[in-house]
Amino acid sequence: MDFTFSEDQYLFRDSVGEFLRNEVTPERIRAGWESPTGRDDALWQALTELGVTGLTVPESHGGLGMSAVDFVLLAQECGYVALPEPLVNTALVAVPVLQAVGGELAATWLPKVADGSARVVCGLANNQLAEDAHVADLLLWCEGDALFALHPGQFTARANASVDPSRRLYAIAIEPGVEPVLTGAAANAVGGLAMRRGALGAAAQCLGLAQRMIDMSVAYTSDRQQFGKPIGSFQAVKHHMANVAVRLEYAKPAVARAAYSLFTDDPGAQRHVAHAKLAACDAANLAAKHSIQVHGAMGYTWEVDLHIFMKKAWALAGTWGDSGFHKACVMDYLMYDDARLGATGTFS
Amino acid sequence: MKLSFSAQDETFREEVATWMGENLTGEFAQMRYRGGPGDEHVFVEERKAWERKLHGGGWTCIGWPEAYGGRGATIEQQVIFNEEYARAGGPGRMGHIGETLTGPTLIAYGTDEQRERYLPGILRGEDFWCQGYSEPSAGSDLANVKTRAIKDKDSGQWKISGQKVWTSLAHESEYCFVIARTDSESVGNKGLGFFLVTLDQPGVDIRPIQQMTGTSEFNEVFFDEAVCADSDLVGAPGDGWKVAMGLLGFERGVSTLGQQMLFQNELDEIVRLAKVNGASQDPALRQRIADAHIGLRIMRYNSMRMLSGGGDDGSLQKEAMIYKLYWSSWHRNLGKLAMDVMGPESEVLDAAPYELSRLQAMYLFTRADTIYGGTNQIQRNIIAERALGMPREPRG
Repeated sequence: MDFTFSEDQYLFRDSVGEFLRNEVTPERIRAGWESPTGRDDALWQALTELGVTGLTVPESHGGLGMSAVDFVLLAQECGYVALPEPLVNTALVAVPVLQAVGGELAATWLPKVADGSARVVCGLANNQLAEDAHVADLLLWCEGDALFALHPGQFTARANASVDPSRRLYAIAIEPGVEPVLTGAAANAVGGLAMRRGALGAAAQCLGLAQRMIDMSVAYTSDRQQFGKPIGSFQAVKHHMANVAVRLEYAKPAVARAAYSLFTDDPGAQRHVAHAKLAACDAANLAAKHSIQVHGAMGYTWEVDLHIFMKKAWALAGTWGDSGFHKACVMDYLMYDDARLGATGTFS
Repeated sequence: MKLSFSAQDETFREEVATWMGENLTGEFAQMRYRGGPGDEHVFVEERKAWERKLHGGGWTCIGWPEAYGGRGATIEQQVIFNEEYARAGGPGRMGHIGETLTGPTLIAYGTDEQRERYLPGILRGEDFWCQGYSEPSAGSDLANVKTRAIKDKDSGQWKISGQKVWTSLAHESEYCFVIARTDSESVGNKGLGFFLVTLDQPGVDIRPIQQMTGTSEFNEVFFDEAVCADSDLVGAPGDGWKVAMGLLGFERGVSTLGQQMLFQNELDEIVRLAKVNGASQDPALRQRIADAHIGLRIMRYNSMRMLSGGGDDGSLQKEAMIYKLYWSSWHRNLGKLAMDVMGPESEVLDAAPYELSRLQAMYLFTRADTIYGGTNQIQRNIIAERALGMPREPRG
């Protein structure tokens, strides 16, 4: 048993994390709000050159062949900076979906993901809207019992503006005559895989978002003075942040566990992902709630950066399965007559 | 990352399960699932006998090094032992304070003489220990202890006088580790000593405190020139705080495993009850049961993470700081959930005059979880200041 990430996994996280923190500043995010696509081609290019877009692509297709466990730490870093680009979607969802479909589709597109010559994203009709369909060279779209691999021109994408101006969401209508690449049980299986992967990505990003909000709040309350003292010295303020810190720290291994389950195809993976999504979104929501409170009125302004991270957290909580969806998964397990209860099964 | 046990570990599991199946029988069978939180007053003598039985099988102090009579069990084996112990319904351990607190503290800070004198009794399930920390004026402000230890010039022995309070299981114990002021001029966490005190002596008076459960798990302990040999001082005079805090570190290590397995048994009982009485059909209760399940899984994952070497960015240390706040809040909620799942029956006693059902006792007991061992408020101060680096509050 070993419930830790390796030295290499941390080193990789640190180096990419440093790049993201330097490059993806709140100023750059705000600039994206004003641009028509909301996407920063120079940034995507830089990420490509760093090799991160192809991390999860198998080595046989020019990638690094990293697993969900390797990538999940990186997804946290993406959350920490509220990265608007669809890196988590591509690496954690679209690439495994391509692999699952296999054949010519995978052979054609995986190398392009790896070398950065194409952007591939995956969307679920269950999410209603597709993220980043407007910049996708290939949109993998799961709808009902069908999986489509859509090129621009094979669908229309109607923009739905998001409360989080960094998120670009589209209603998808497939042009008549476009055939799915998978149907029936095979398509359903891939749809389930996409849901689990997307939920894990959202959960991991929520961990990073929560950490960012804590860091901002600790910095602000250490600086802001009232009654002649930093407000962070008052228990009423620090207890809020302590509660967030506990929630966050305890959500981390749930996310790690879920990543490991996807990596090992654990039969309990769906439930482990549900745990992770619930725990991580809960931490991010609590971080948002208390961070805005300790920022006082400043936290409610457009000018202060806090809302960048709060809005992303709120959005991620509602997508790739909301809390009701994931909690139902846990409840069904517990109430099922043959559920394996009992003190054993630490990893069940 | 590898979230599974090895074949060797599974063989060990078989060994534990077989032993429990063969031995938690006969006179011991009545204690299955008993003696846990809020239920400590039951089967006391029988549970002490059970400790000796465990020793006979080599199942006490398994995490201690072999040199001190333990098995030098790996973390995995300790996890598995606790899983199987709880699965079999093994009763609440009488010897846990000695095994998980006194033992590791003496191994880390004690002298050879102290280890030779005290470890065998703990190992054999013959000597039981209690913790003499809190005092009437030293609760959250633990460093404000007033109990003093004065060294008698003629005998060379220490004479301890003062009062401890909320001392769990003192009335069932042979020994108490006591923090007392060796330097009468000192204040705060300076000038303290950590003493191993024999309770059966004229200078010690133990008075059980009746709790709102109607039973007594904790006590007031009065020391009036109680005698303690100089060789029973752990560390030097003035080292008491360091040793006391080192001990609290052990409290948040492997000793958490047994606790979590007990929690699992409690939660399972609630789930079973909910299925039987229909509470599982109530959407609000179902949600809370799911929340409780998730909370406990997370607690177990975190212990696994901490025990397998920590997390990133110093979270091993953070983990130790946040554990108490997390489990106590979770357990308090579990108590309330148990009552809500029981429904109207939650009010009805098992028997007059004041016999509580296991879940009722658990509910009442969990009202204390967020208080003892450092209140939630104190924990939050520590987390905010030490883990998050927020500005310190002026003290003193």
